[in-house]
Amino acid sequence: MMQFKALLIDAYRQLSAAKLFWVTVGISALVVVAFGSIGFNSEGISIGFGAYQIESEQLNAGSPWARGLYIGIFSNFLVKIWLAWIATVLALISTCSIFPEFVHSGSIELTISKPIGRFKLFISKYIVSLLFVVLQVAIFCFGIFLCVGLRIGEWNPLIFSAIPIVATFFSYLFAVCVLVGILTRSGITALLITGIFWMLLWSVQTSEVVLNRFVTRFNVDIERFDEGIITTTEELTTIRAKSETDFRIPKLEKRIETYKEDSTEAQESLAKLAPWHMPVELVLAALPKNAQTIGLLNRWLSDPDGFDIGAIMNGDMRAFEGEDVKEFDPTTRGARDREANRRIQEDYESRSLWYVLGTSLLFEGFVLGLASMYFSRKDF
Amino acid sequence: MAAIQLQGVEKVYRGKVHALRRVSIDVMDGEIFGLLGPNGAGKSTLVKIIMTVIHASNVSGTLLGKPIGDRKTLESIGYLPEHHRFPYYLTGKQVLDHYGALCKVGRKDRITRASSLLSRLGLSGWENKKVGTYSKGMLQRLGIAQALMNDPKLLILDEPTDGVDPVGRREIRDLLAELREEGRAVFLNSHLLSELEMVCDRVAIMVKGKVTMQGTIDSLTVDSRRYEITTLGSIPEWAIELADDVSENSFTLLGDDPSKIQPILDRLRSENIIIVSVQPVRENLEDLFMRAVDNTDAPGAIR
Ligand SMILES: Nc1ncnc2c1ncn2[C@@H]1O[C@H](COP(=O)(O)OP(=O)(O)O)[C@@H](O)[C@H]1O
Ligand SMILES: [Mg+2]
Repeated sequence: MMQFKALLIDAYRQLSAAKLFWVTVGISALVVVAFGSIGFNSEGISIGFGAYQIESEQLNAGSPWARGLYIGIFSNFLVKIWLAWIATVLALISTCSIFPEFVHSGSIELTISKPIGRFKLFISKYIVSLLFVVLQVAIFCFGIFLCVGLRIGEWNPLIFSAIPIVATFFSYLFAVCVLVGILTRSGITALLITGIFWMLLWSVQTSEVVLNRFVTRFNVDIERFDEGIITTTEELTTIRAKSETDFRIPKLEKRIETYKEDSTEAQESLAKLAPWHMPVELVLAALPKNAQTIGLLNRWLSDPDGFDIGAIMNGDMRAFEGEDVKEFDPTTRGARDREANRRIQEDYESRSLWYVLGTSLLFEGFVLGLASMYFSRKDF
Repeated sequence: MAAIQLQGVEKVYRGKVHALRRVSIDVMDGEIFGLLGPNGAGKSTLVKIIMTVIHASNVSGTLLGKPIGDRKTLESIGYLPEHHRFPYYLTGKQVLDHYGALCKVGRKDRITRASSLLSRLGLSGWENKKVGTYSKGMLQRLGIAQALMNDPKLLILDEPTDGVDPVGRREIRDLLAELREEGRAVFLNSHLLSELEMVCDRVAIMVKGKVTMQGTIDSLTVDSRRYEITTLGSIPEWAIELADDVSENSFTLLGDDPSKIQPILDRLRSENIIIVSVQPVRENLEDLFMRAVDNTDAPGAIR
């Protein structure tokens, strides 16, 4: 414990000796202040502590959408763009040299000759390095918590769930950074390789999302067109029973024809994509799912009956109407889009914690295992 | 009890450098033991094996009575690595506190020991300055202070006088003698031979990963003790026959018993030969060292 504390104090001194650490803290504070400057009054939204005023009928003090917008800004922009992007890059830059410095010849001998096992030393060092990222996120979240409480009167402790989520997200990348850092003893190399790894993750995840979207969409298409064939055929039968010469008959026959063509086309496209879908899903299953990890926050924070800024960004304006609308014609492009979006959202939200976190942590554990094994066996 | 007792230490680095070959070494309690050898002989390798910094290919023996590699034993050992580097963002005092804590020294002890060690090593006034501003000699002294933070029974110093000026070296030598008085064993590596001679109770000479000689300096140089007699004018025939070595107007007799040379001096005097000087000569550590190195060709490990 005394040794862990010594490593903790050392990590604090190392980070606080770096200017970048304080720059990050400063920008974090600015972001919180900017967020806090958004307020709601009876006429609408005020920005910059009242410097600008946006008049709005729907979004004003007391409206249920104000809550959705305010929390949505946090879970969609502050978390997804600030915490999971900019702050993560800054944190990686300031922590990438911790392990290379640690194993630098001349300093590692001093540490490793102390009465502490190598594995314990390695893990402790890893944990204390992460703790500082956790600390930064924690302070940030506390600021957000205060803002949300003061502005819309909701003291929502779930905001703090961003701490473990962002820390876990960061740790996937940091594990890789540590492995490369102790192998190459170079912070810059570690940073670069981690960046490449991150891009790789991003492209696999994006491919998965895109493929998943198309596959879902084609499935919806096939279903809806086939339904269309059935309902139109029924309609046709009823009309034919009354009169064989009804003017609607050729029109309906033509429609059935089109449905059939469209359905075949969708089936062909699906057949083309299907062989890719499974392998990409498998590759993703083995890799850390950082986008989905961050997505957990949205899952936990969004109010199912409220205003969902994420859905609006996806072009689903129904969220504004607040309730499900019965589709007039389920085969139109818009209706099919909406159904596909609904299914995709449902799909991602129903992915288990084990899938999102468990497999990601398994990957991280594997990378850390390699790093600690190397560290334990190495002749320094 | 022996502070260090090692038998048959072997080390082959990856890349096939055979750095240590069946090295055996004994360091007694309360003595200063010096390990000598040219660069690349394997001195640091041996020390790193003792300190668990590297893994030996083969090792048996004890450290303070415990088997080598026992973590707990490290609590009572102080270690100054070669070319050590302290974190630049720490001050002298923070360095001592940090490494003291890693050695499981309690907080109170750390505070009192840090300030007493800083003044003992002549670093008072620098305790709150960042180590980045220290000179090489000061860093070395801070390194020794760091090695003493856990009040060790055994101190292992790899090139302790590296980069230290002559005054500082003398101070370190005096400090080592004091530490011996306090009952600690000291094991040190150095290439500064004259220093070892002044302070070490026993030495070992290592060349190309092998220990070629080990013992007190006296016992290692006993074979080379001799008397050198210089006369004015030529040396008589009978003396040349007796002598072990002759040069123009001096001759040498091996041995370190002064009574043995008295008859010779008497005879020279009786023959009215003027004796300029009679000098007891003994090989110093440097000669001994050069002899050991010469016997095994150029320095460096056998690859
Ligand atoms: N990590 C290492 N990997 C491979 N060879 C090494 C390593 N460290 C030292 N050596 C080699 O082992 C030999 C002994 O080195 P060292 O113990 O540092 O010698 P000394 O301290 O006596 O100068 C040298 O030939 C050196 O090149
Ligand atoms: Mg050396």
